[in-house]
Amino acid sequence: MDNKRNTTREWVHGLTALILALFLLGVSPGLGIVKNIVDLWGALLFIPEAPAVLMRDVFIEWRSWSRNKDSLNEEVTRLREENAQLRLDLAKITGEKIYSNDVKNNLRTARVSLRAPLSWWNEIRIDKGEVDNITQGIPVFYNGYLLGRVSSVSTVSAWVELITSPSFMIPAVIEETRELGVIAGDGNGSVVLRYIPAGRGIKSGMRVSTAMIGEQLSPGLPIGKIVGEVSSGSDGYATYKVEPGAELSKFYTVDY
Amino acid sequence: MLLVILWLIQDFLTILHGGGMQIPGLFILGIVYKLLFDEDIDGSLWAIWSAFAGGILWDLRWLGIPGFFTLGNVVVVLIVIQIWGAIPPQGRTRGTAFLVFVLMEVSQLLPPLLPTMILGGSTGLNFFILRQTYSLPAILVTMYLYLKRVK
Repeated sequence: MDNKRNTTREWVHGLTALILALFLLGVSPGLGIVKNIVDLWGALLFIPEAPAVLMRDVFIEWRSWSRNKDSLNEEVTRLREENAQLRLDLAKITGEKIYSNDVKNNLRTARVSLRAPLSWWNEIRIDKGEVDNITQGIPVFYNGYLLGRVSSVSTVSAWVELITSPSFMIPAVIEETRELGVIAGDGNGSVVLRYIPAGRGIKSGMRVSTAMIGEQLSPGLPIGKIVGEVSSGSDGYATYKVEPGAELSKFYTVDY
Repeated sequence: MLLVILWLIQDFLTILHGGGMQIPGLFILGIVYKLLFDEDIDGSLWAIWSAFAGGILWDLRWLGIPGFFTLGNVVVVLIVIQIWGAIPPQGRTRGTAFLVFVLMEVSQLLPPLLPTMILGGSTGLNFFILRQTYSLPAILVTMYLYLKRVK
């Protein structure tokens, strides 16, 4: 009996609650007072909700900062590429011949006295030696560009290790981007620039010159220009093929 | 007190989520859980009016129009009382776990149904599906608590 009474009472309360809910749903959109109650309730919840609002604001601010950072990085990359392209265009218009000639004006000439077929891309002998103030390690040029460096000297002759020799490795810099790498030959007439970080907007035509090294090779000696990417390793560094400014198939004399 | 805390947690999470309806109904889940262990389930008037009050406060806070979650919550409580009340207390064991799961699912499906239908379209459907997905971990935790408590 009690159980039946409880069920009836529960139904009465349940239906009352349902009718009230439906009534509220039906009439409240048209009642102005509902808006005031909503505002009042929102104001009352201000304190318990404050930590959540703070956390949300901090998160939004952090996300916004993060997005801005990405956007700035993209902008920097774009400007860097644009800058490199402009430098390249400028060099094409004015720079290239001038700086080659600057180097060329202060040089003396030596004649190639031996270029053995077996070491065609590795070394040459020139007809100048110690008596002509040639010392080991000094750079040798052709047409204003680095051709190699003196590897050994005798009284009247000297051997020059060519830029295409596999044992010829010198630090170099890309003029337009100031990225540093190492110039190396492959013994077959090609020259590559190694250890350049990948994705730095390196383009064909950018100039390569010697970088900060001591001894006889001073920085800024022109080597050649980039002609393309050879490979991009998983270590994050790329290798670029370099076309030497000194034409290695044509020279009969060199400058030092 | 537990229900007040659950309501506030649900409110807290909704703010963190940017005010959407996707946060699981922890408050109504708490009511269902309490009902499952209520000795006198047929006399559980507290559940009806708690669901009503919690629903109306939720509507006032997040929808601006009272009635949507109020109605859904009351319907859920009535369903739970009817179905769970039909099982004698001796039969409320681990064997009824599936039924408990269904009741908890109902508590998450029904309240947001009306607002979702009014919102309509793919947006409403996405909200609804997302809310059900978010609800699942809460239901599983409640199921774990239930199974731990019953013999």
